[in-house]
Amino acid sequence: MLYQYSWTVLFAPLLAFAVIIFVTRVWDMLSRPRVQEVPAHGDTHADIHGSIDAHHDSHDEHIAEAGAHSEAEHGHLDDDDDPKVPFLTPGAKASAYVALVLMAFACIYSWVLLINSVVSPDPTLVKTGYTVFQYTWLNLGNINYQIAFHIDHLAIAMMVVVTTVTLLVQFYSQGYMQNSAGYARFYSYLSLFAFSMLVIVFAQNFLVIFTGWELVGLSSYLLIGFWINKKAKPEEQRPSPASAALQAFVVNRIGDVGFIIGIMILFVSTGTFEFSKLQIAVLGMNKTALTVAMICIFCGAIGKSAQFPLHVWLPSAMEGPTPVSALIHAATMVAAGVYMVARTFPLFYAADPVAFQVVGWIGAFTAFFAATIALVQSDFKRVLAFSTISQLGYMFVGLAVAGSEYGAGPGMFHLFTHAFFKALLFLGAGSVLFALHHATHREVQDVRLMGGLATRMPITAATWLIATLAISGFPGFSGFFSKETIIGLAYDHQQWGLYALTLVTAGLTAFYMLRAFILAFGGKGGYLGGLWGGPYRGEGEVHESPPTMTIPLILLAIPSVLAGYWTGFFTYLNPDAKPLDIAQLLSLPDTWIGVAVSLVGLIVAYAIYARVELTKIEAFVQSRPALRTVHRILYNRYYIDAFYDWLVKYVLLNGICWLAQAFDTYVIDGIVNGVASLITGFGSGVRRVETGQVQSYMIGFFGGVAVLAVLALVLINVVK
Amino acid sequence: MGLTLNHFLILGAVLFCIGLYGAISKHNAIAVLMGIEIMLNAVNVTMIGFSFFNTVKVHRPDGFGNYAQYLTGQIFAIFIITVAAAEAAVALAMIIAIYRKRNTVDVGEIDMMKW
Repeated sequence: MLYQYSWTVLFAPLLAFAVIIFVTRVWDMLSRPRVQEVPAHGDTHADIHGSIDAHHDSHDEHIAEAGAHSEAEHGHLDDDDDPKVPFLTPGAKASAYVALVLMAFACIYSWVLLINSVVSPDPTLVKTGYTVFQYTWLNLGNINYQIAFHIDHLAIAMMVVVTTVTLLVQFYSQGYMQNSAGYARFYSYLSLFAFSMLVIVFAQNFLVIFTGWELVGLSSYLLIGFWINKKAKPEEQRPSPASAALQAFVVNRIGDVGFIIGIMILFVSTGTFEFSKLQIAVLGMNKTALTVAMICIFCGAIGKSAQFPLHVWLPSAMEGPTPVSALIHAATMVAAGVYMVARTFPLFYAADPVAFQVVGWIGAFTAFFAATIALVQSDFKRVLAFSTISQLGYMFVGLAVAGSEYGAGPGMFHLFTHAFFKALLFLGAGSVLFALHHATHREVQDVRLMGGLATRMPITAATWLIATLAISGFPGFSGFFSKETIIGLAYDHQQWGLYALTLVTAGLTAFYMLRAFILAFGGKGGYLGGLWGGPYRGEGEVHESPPTMTIPLILLAIPSVLAGYWTGFFTYLNPDAKPLDIAQLLSLPDTWIGVAVSLVGLIVAYAIYARVELTKIEAFVQSRPALRTVHRILYNRYYIDAFYDWLVKYVLLNGICWLAQAFDTYVIDGIVNGVASLITGFGSGVRRVETGQVQSYMIGFFGGVAVLAVLALVLINVVK
Repeated sequence: MGLTLNHFLILGAVLFCIGLYGAISKHNAIAVLMGIEIMLNAVNVTMIGFSFFNTVKVHRPDGFGNYAQYLTGQIFAIFIITVAAAEAAVALAMIIAIYRKRNTVDVGEIDMMKW
């Protein structure tokens, strides 16, 4: 009974979306006072105007001019795009409350489901799961296309993550987005995002998961590009939100091509989309075809979960509002790829081991690769973006090395713990950016302009430190258990390459996370030997963020520590798996090797960044040619973005598009124009026959008659 | 060996060819006109020849004049002569007009109606 009604969890966000779009947002827009254009808002105004009319020299002149034109220019803009929001209308606030109430319901319901299924396991739920919604979409011949949702333990675990993180993010956004335009619209998109992700979570077959997959792509597009009027900042290597959204969308489509092909191969071979039927059907399938299909399906996960080489969209996606980043990184978007691989785990397992080798190696390489980039990034959010890419790599390694005795457990366990501390990291980063925005009245994301914030915003700093330790795999925190399990599995299965990469990455992770923490919150001269507080390198007075933002941080800090102690997670997902044995984990030598590597990372980061001033470190790096080169390569993200730019510009646009255009111009147009000019040429040649001289006509005429006469004569004689 | 239809037809054909040759080969418009007149008259000869030999038996009570000719060919010939006269008048008028305009009666140069 409890399980049968779980579809309400899925449809609650959709209901919230509909209510906001059709009711509260309309109310908000109708009740919004018409604000007079005033020069005091010149900054934001200039941005808007600049995007419409790209040149203005003098600011004052521009405002005078804009005042005159304001009616004409802003008349056609959507009210939502108006950047001057003096206060939130009741309609806007109601939108937030609608989203929050419905999401709170979904969150509580999924926690109830989780606790219930842990305390009193339902054998049907464990084995096959419950189908909670079924609708025959299309019936062609003997093929049944169904829209079907079902839940099992895997779905419930993921559901809890999605609804919890979304709820906290929505709660947090009340503070973070209070000054932003489109407050109501933002909540509707967040609800849509949660719904899209839940579609993936509830999916019973590939059709539904693909629908959710694309819905997630759409909502991420809407949210990353939420601040459509913001411009690119080339000096900080930051694209505009609009182009970042487009990039995320397009890069994901590249992966989706593989995903669709994989689904089609499976469908053609087995005739079904349903996961439960596929599990049995693939056993009789050609192994090579299955392996190819699974690698193609993994391509979709590469795109969605930002693995190398399709990782470029994730750092760009940092241009979206920070709560959105938290949502994307922790629960909704990138987790979709991992969840999908976990959901199709039996299919991967049935395929050739090559399939899991591909998953593992891409994951491990991405983990290492992204971690090296994160070492030197100066953008606060971008460090976190690369850490997400790196941690997702861990999850794929976890899925790849788990083997049948664990199933999807280790990968999902890391997803589960990671969701909480990564959401915490992002919301904490958002809290910092919010505070700095209020202190400096401009957007600051560069860690070089932070420092010593711990004494100024202690709640944010404390929770961030907890998350830092969790992601670094510090013993006792949640990340320690999930990450050490994965590294230990790689060790147990003698995957030495994966083991080495994940181990080194653990050290790098610890290093760059503590580096980011100290650069933002500590510095030389602070308490605890430079870890806590210190000189602030920016301007203005920084204060702690409002409670709407700090409460989610505190709430997230709890699972960031405790999520790892759910030792029955593996057994929960796979009844045959052994539970996580903490005592045994702590007794294994390879665990302590991992811990040692992490500690080395932490200590090195502490020794460098807490004991030395930042300017000295930078001067040191710049004075050594080798270090400087390495720093530049890493800072420019191995020039992969530049390479893709080059690829798009010269190979795609100037190469393939040029060829296509040439084919169109010369072959297709050539055929049409050729026929036409052939006829024209023939005509203009033939008209020369008409000379205007009567005598030549006469020759033709009588000659023709003569020829006909001869012909007739001959014919008559022949016929005779 | 009397006069037969073949004699008329050969004479007509020869005259027609002479006229055709003249009409095609002469540059002078008046000579061309003359060639055309010859061709017309060649046709007339043929018409008359056919008319002469295309007879019908007539039964008269007095027994005279057993054979009579169909006159269609001869009437045609008279019409052709009339038309030829009119045509010659019009053609000469045009030749004179062209001569006044272009100072030539060479049909090779009179080729405005082309393309």
